[in-house]
Amino acid sequence: MANFIAWEKDMSKARKLARARNLPILLFFHNPG
Amino acid sequence: MDAVTYPDEKIIAFVQENFIPLQIAHDAIPLSRDFNIKWTPTLITLGIDGREHHRSVGFLNPEDFISSALLGMGKFHFDNDRYQEALSLFENLISRHPGSDYVAEAIFLRGVSLYKHSGDRLFLKEVYETLSSQHPDSEWTKRASPYRLL
Repeated sequence: MANFIAWEKDMSKARKLARARNLPILLFFHNPG
Repeated sequence: MDAVTYPDEKIIAFVQENFIPLQIAHDAIPLSRDFNIKWTPTLITLGIDGREHHRSVGFLNPEDFISSALLGMGKFHFDNDRYQEALSLFENLISRHPGSDYVAEAIFLRGVSLYKHSGDRLFLKEVYETLSSQHPDSEWTKRASPYRLL
């Protein structure tokens, strides 16, 4: 099992994956600073 | 979130199984502007078409994170007229996380889903009765108050 969340960084890729897996996207806006 | 919630094993498994996780900096144009991001952390449940279904602003501990995510997944299905799938998620939230701040909204949407699926208005009356007895001070009880007349 993964020991971290494998966040996508690109919206276009996330939407393609969402369509392929028929799952919603969890969009996390964060403050990397 | 990065220090407490996301490293939790339950959260990792839950997110990987139920979502496509996407992390974006709060000032990344154009997405931060498109989604009107004013504070972090902001978590949004998006549909496959990019439509927003649920939003949470501020820190969530692991328990609240799962409750909020279940509600978001339920709303994702509800907004797409998939009431059976939505019901399953609202029921999950209500039964497994009864102390959650998100339960009152889930009770409301469960009743609406049952009504939309069956056409039986008694489900709406039941929404008000359940909310008024279990969550008398919730905004969702006020929103359901017209249903007491059904």
